[in-house]
Amino acid sequence: MALRRSKQRRRAPLHPIIFRWDLDKTYLKSEFDSLRQLMWVPFEKAQDKVAVPGVVPLITGLRETATQAGREVRVHFMSASPPQIAKAIKQKLALDGIEYDGIVFKNQLQHLVRGRFRNLREQVGFKLTELLKSRSDIPAGSREMLFGDDWESDPIIYSLYADILAGRIASDELGDVLRTIGVDPRLIAEAQERAAVARRGEAVEKIYINLERRTPPTTFRCFGPRLVPTFNYFQTAACLFADGYLMLPAVVRVAEAMVQDAGYTPGSLANSLADIARRGHLQAATTIGVREYLRAHALMPQSGRRSIRVALWQRLKPWLGRTPVRPSPQADAIDYHALVAHWRAAR
Amino acid sequence: MPTIAVDAMGGDFAPEEVVKGVAQASLETDIQCTLVGDEAQIQAALDRVPYNPEHIAVHHTPDFISMEDDPKRGLRQKRNASVLVAARLVSEGQADAVVTAGNTGAAVLACAQQFRTIPGVQKAALASVYPRQTEYPGQDQLALLLDVGATIRCEATELVQFALMGSAYARHISKVPSPRIALLNMGVEETKGGDILVSAHRRLKTVGGVNFVGNIEGNDLAKGKADVIVCEGFLGNVVLKLLEGLAEVVVDLAGTARRENWRWKLGFFVLANSFGRLRDLTDYTAYGGAPILGFEHLMIKSHGRSNARAINNAIKVAAKAVRDGVTREIAAAIERL
Repeated sequence: MALRRSKQRRRAPLHPIIFRWDLDKTYLKSEFDSLRQLMWVPFEKAQDKVAVPGVVPLITGLRETATQAGREVRVHFMSASPPQIAKAIKQKLALDGIEYDGIVFKNQLQHLVRGRFRNLREQVGFKLTELLKSRSDIPAGSREMLFGDDWESDPIIYSLYADILAGRIASDELGDVLRTIGVDPRLIAEAQERAAVARRGEAVEKIYINLERRTPPTTFRCFGPRLVPTFNYFQTAACLFADGYLMLPAVVRVAEAMVQDAGYTPGSLANSLADIARRGHLQAATTIGVREYLRAHALMPQSGRRSIRVALWQRLKPWLGRTPVRPSPQADAIDYHALVAHWRAAR
Repeated sequence: MPTIAVDAMGGDFAPEEVVKGVAQASLETDIQCTLVGDEAQIQAALDRVPYNPEHIAVHHTPDFISMEDDPKRGLRQKRNASVLVAARLVSEGQADAVVTAGNTGAAVLACAQQFRTIPGVQKAALASVYPRQTEYPGQDQLALLLDVGATIRCEATELVQFALMGSAYARHISKVPSPRIALLNMGVEETKGGDILVSAHRRLKTVGGVNFVGNIEGNDLAKGKADVIVCEGFLGNVVLKLLEGLAEVVVDLAGTARRENWRWKLGFFVLANSFGRLRDLTDYTAYGGAPILGFEHLMIKSHGRSNARAINNAIKVAAKAVRDGVTREIAAAIERL
């Protein structure tokens, strides 16, 4: 009976999976910290643009893993950059060999012409409405993984989106939160309309935030365990492997790319893996599995000259429950008013 | 890049300030740091600050020697004390140097237990730096004093060796091409101070590669007449404590005076800039720490009250000493002796 149930479960079709990526500082290593750099962005050619180390093999690996599992997969990009630079970005994605199913840009020129200056810098309204708009075009029951960075408001946008889909945030509350953030009233109304008709479900599985600014990880505790802050894409890859979205060979490819293109060393990869495990985002067994697999590919340091007692302790430690493991993502309600206040104060 | 083992549990403000210092170093440099101490406490402290995980490893050990512990008994009872484990990582080749702000006695004993002394070195020396008057622009504001407590009494040969060790260290860390070495004595004449000091003076005059400037008296210590001052541990420790005590008394007196009289308060306001410069000069956080010399590996001992800036600087000093091969240079100098 149990066997039959197991087979039935295995035969059940997997939900389609959508990987949504922010572009600047998440996919691209965009440098616009100064006005001069910002002014240079529109003139950058595709070959001048640099992807964040490890992101290309990560996206490729996610698609491959999902496809091999017989799962429908889509990759979407979203950027607050104007459509005028779309050509260069699309060429860059083509150069990197990234297949994508959708890409959205923010029409900054339109805001400028219409005198909506506030909208030029404000991203929450734009991204949230675009996410909700896009949700109506994807297959029912699709699961989503969202990737952003710690530069602007990706954590809030993605968390709001996830909770709207899950039905945990009412229309009035959404309006209040967006008003507190300073979103354009027109976009608030649009977001509320789209939220009202969005298909309900626990669609967003995880939100990965690339800590490009090295924001302290505790800053993101208030977003709950669904949001995982990572310092590099090797950490992200390890977590995605733990969740079954990536296979170990793909994790190796991410690590290899980081070593070849960005000067990472087996030591820095080992430190990164240990860090994400200590922060409770990886189970002890997964950590050991990833470490040993990468060690076999010479991407982790071989065991040094250590005393047997130290080596034994290092092996046993994870099994003895020393490594704290964060609870799996759950539908905890987030107090967005407190969160917005906290987020603003922290930044 | 060198790997520095940092005793995360050592110091009055450990582990928070130590971890913060390592986090700062991880963002500013490529130096690899291994934090040794309680993993949960270390990670909790790391989570609160910006850091680069690629440059930081954590080595868990539950024990540590507190500032109040008896060093000998503490190390005997706690075989996995953080300072001892940090030194062990270096002796096992997993790190290149140690930084600790913890119990000084335990730090010296940990070195003695885990590191081999450089062949020919009779006794290790604990160095310290103190602020002094500068004689020319660009001169290091700090002088190196050794030994300040690793030994009690010394023979002439040991004082000569201290001079060689201090000279090699100052050449690299203080960037003085030919550091001036002086013997701390009760008079500048070479016949002063008893047989040991007279003998050391005579030998230092003839040792090659050392810029020996003779004896120096206590009143010249702060005048910048020498870059490295050599003395036995008993005397060095008394001098160091005297300097620290004097600085505390001056600060205390200044504070009291400022509170008691509005005219003095006004005077302080006028002299604020000068007081700021004096504070910068005596700011131990700027130099990070001082070395324990004479072993094949290096340990930098930071002040017990070290904050993040002091630890960050101590890590940089340790990495520089490793990169420049200070211990190798000391070994070569001792061999030539």
